[in-house]
Parts: sequence; structure tokens; C-alpha cells
Amino acid sequence: MILDTFEALAMVSAIFAILILGTTHLRTNLSFYSLHTMAIAAVTAWIATITHEDHLYLVAAGVFLIKSWGIPWYLNGVIRKINVGTDGGAFIAAPLSMHLGALMLGLSFMISQQIPGLIGEPDSRLGSTAAMSILFTGVLLMLTRRAAISQIVGFLVIENGIYLFAVTQTHGMPLMIEMGLLLEVLVAVMVAGLLLFNIKKSFEHIDVSQLTELKD
Amino acid sequence: MIAINTEAILETIAFIATFLLLPPLLVGIIRKTKARFQNRIGAPLLQPYFDLLKLLSKGETISKHTSWIFRSTAAINVSLLIILAFLAPWTSLRPFNLGADLFLVIYLLALTRFFTVLSALDAGSAFGGFGASREVTLALLVEPAVILCLAAIGSVSQTSDLGIAFSFDNVALMNQPGLWFIAGCGLFLASLVELSRMPADDPTTHLELTMVHEAMILENSAANLALVEYAHFLKILILLGISSQCLLHAIPFFWHTSQLVLALSSIFSIMILAASIAVIESVAVKLRWTKLPEFIAYSVAMSIFCVFIALSKNLN
Repeated sequence: MILDTFEALAMVSAIFAILILGTTHLRTNLSFYSLHTMAIAAVTAWIATITHEDHLYLVAAGVFLIKSWGIPWYLNGVIRKINVGTDGGAFIAAPLSMHLGALMLGLSFMISQQIPGLIGEPDSRLGSTAAMSILFTGVLLMLTRRAAISQIVGFLVIENGIYLFAVTQTHGMPLMIEMGLLLEVLVAVMVAGLLLFNIKKSFEHIDVSQLTELKD
Repeated sequence: MIAINTEAILETIAFIATFLLLPPLLVGIIRKTKARFQNRIGAPLLQPYFDLLKLLSKGETISKHTSWIFRSTAAINVSLLIILAFLAPWTSLRPFNLGADLFLVIYLLALTRFFTVLSALDAGSAFGGFGASREVTLALLVEPAVILCLAAIGSVSQTSDLGIAFSFDNVALMNQPGLWFIAGCGLFLASLVELSRMPADDPTTHLELTMVHEAMILENSAANLALVEYAHFLKILILLGISSQCLLHAIPFFWHTSQLVLALSSIFSIMILAASIAVIESVAVKLRWTKLPEFIAYSVAMSIFCVFIALSKNLN
């Protein structure tokens, strides 16, 4: 089995996503997220050169600038301002959830082998394996972490997974839709960052497991 | 009548000279790079050789509570590691293939650790006790990563002989840069812990809260200490050698080059890894003991990826 370059890049992004799970140190999480998104931007650019769809270059540039550089930079600023260095504690220990994520990668490989639509020309099973594993990873992040900022990272990882699935299976959506999605993610993260400030101000912590208690 | 081949004899001599003389130089490289990072000039590159020679001429002090285990451990470890240097695929130039089964390599490594731990306990000092306890805890966590990485490579090449799997004419492994690269990263992270380098242990401090390897060899002195240190240097050479071989195999260029280029590049890549250890030690901090499993988990995760690549390869 010889990996195509874009499939190898997709697997690299999946592996970086799984490495996010391994630590509760938020800055390290964000830099792994940044590398993970850079790999996704590279996948997009590579697909653009294969399919000669020039608008995908623009999308790749957008993903690189906004998602892999802008958003981590903004979230780093948020972390510095609210002065929270590490996640307070995960529901599943970080190393365990990383190994669980690695097992999910194997599971998504098996699922992709079973989907009949994927075994066509070109064979896109590895791309969908990576995308599905990134989805699982994001879900694991959102389920197991307590700090609200990890929830944002989890949301971003899930979004990347859906995007990667679309780009590897359909070779990209129209430019308007992609740009709209990018803008939407940016706005969502901005709003979530502002929300974080307010949560920190009124509760003095960002532990989502304690946000279910009502206060007046 | 055995035909005597001059070239083969020269190769063998070069091989033996390399693994006997290179290890202290590696440590010299690590120390020099660290010194430059800290804006010092640092000791000369050959200082570890001088240190070993000085230790050999010193008078030895032995605790009267020790038994023969304490005296013989250093010699046993050096001889075990020399056997390993003949077996393990730490360089591309191996003049003879003795059939290095991967489990043999792993268990010889474990045997050296076993004897180090025994001699640490033998002296009966408190330091030896906790050093040994920490070393065994770390070994327990790291061993699965090493075994899984090597086993994945072995499973793709359909043999458990590392000599065949790591030779550059194996067709099954030729187009697997991903497997080699991830295995190399996993083995490198694991060897950082096995060699008691920075995230696990600070080799330059003698602080009881942090020592692992240093605590175990605290009772050794003079020639005994020289042998222990030399065994540790040899272990650095072998473990870094195996990880650098994995990383070299990931580069397609090296599959079709001449023997000489391969041999030189394998020595050179070991030195680069030694320098990168120094860089890691300069920029990273020692992790708290309770945080270490999180670090080792990264190496285990790499080995799990290797296993998946091997499995998917075997399915198709």
C-alpha cells in the first residue's frame, strides 16, 4: 500500500489531533491544534493541485491564515488574560484518552473499509479514515475535558473533521460556502472567547462540570 | 580453509572500533551542545574519555555490606551491551549478521537494567533503593512502546530478525516511510526515558528528589564507576542508533545509495540525535514524577500507530 501524498497528510493531521488529547496543558493543546490544521491546509492545497480547482488554493490559504494561525493566537491571548494554564482535570486521564483516541483511529479505519461508496476511483478510504478519526477525537475532547477552553478546541477539531471529510470525498465545496464556514467558525470562536471572559468574571473558574448548578 | 577477505577484516575492525570509541564522544557532543546553549564554552569534546581514564587510575572504596553482585554488575553490563552492539541494528554497516531476534534485543536491554537495579539494591543505601524503584517503574511504562514499535516493523517485514528487517534491501519495508518515521519518533521518545535524559531525569543534578540513574550508581567508585559509566554510554549509542536507523529508513534516498554513504550517514545521524537530546534538555524542563506517565504515553501512542499501520498493511 503506497500512500498518496494527500492521504499521508490527512493521516498526519489525524495523528496531531490525537496528540492534542495527550496533555491537559492548554498552550501545548493549542500548538498541536495549530499543526493539525496546517496539515489540513496542506491536504487542501494538494487536492487543488491534483484536481486543478484553483479556488481550493484560496480555501487552503484561508484555512492556514484563519484556523491554524489566527484562532490559536486569539485563544492564546484569552488564556493569558484569564490566567488559566492547564485544564483543571479530565474525566478520563489524559494518557488514557489519547490511547482511546488511537484505538478510535483503528475503529474508523475498519468503518471506512465497510462503507461501499468509498471504494471507487479514486480510492478515498484513508482520507475518510483520517476525517472520521478526527471527528472521534473532537468528541472525546469535548466529553472528557472540564475547562471551557478545551471545549472550544474540541469543537474546532470536530469542525476540522467534517471539513476534511468533505474535502477528501467531494474534492471541495464552492468557494462561497467554504468562506462562509470559515467566517462562521471565526465568529463562533470569538463569541466563545468573550463568553469565557464573562464566565471567568462571574464564577472565577471555567470548569464546565460546575456550570450546571444554578446560582442567582 | 576459510578464505580470508581483507575487506571484511577491515570492515570488522572499523565496526568494533566505532562502537568502542564512539559512545564517550556522543556524551561529549551532548555536554558541549548544552554548554553552548547556556552561553558557556564548556569542556572539550573528548572530556568523557579523560574522565574515564582518570576514574580508572583512582583508588576504589567499597561498602563492606556489598556482595559479589555489586562488584560484578559493571562488568556484566559492559559485556551484555557489547553483545547487544554486535546484534542490534544500530548502524547500517554490520559486517556480519548474527540473527538478532527482536525479543533477544529487548530482553538483553532488560537484563542490563535488571543487573543495574540489583547492584543498586545490594549496597543497601537509601538512595539505591529509591533509584531502583523509580527505574523499574519507568521501565514498566516504556517497555510496551519499544516492543510494539519493533514488533510492528517485524510484522511488516514478516520476520522477527531485526538484522533482516533493518537491512536496506527489504522490499516489504521500502515504501513505508510513515511506519519508519513514527517508529523512529516513538523509539526516540522511549529512549529519552530509558537513558534517564531530561524529561524523565536530569543527569547533571545530584538532588535526591529527582535522581533516577544517578541514585543507583551513587555507591560505585573508581574503575567500577568507569565501567558503569561506559555501559551507560554504550546504551546511549545503541538506543539512539536504533531510533536513527528507523528515521534513516524513512528517507527513500538512502535505499539506493552505496554502503559507504549509508555507514557514514548512520554515524552522523546518531550524532545529530545526540545533539537534539542536548537541545531538548536545554529548552525543556524536567517533568514532575506524577506527570511522567503523560510523557511516556506519547511514545506508547506512537507505537500504537505503528501497530495500526502494520495491521492495515497485513489486511491488504
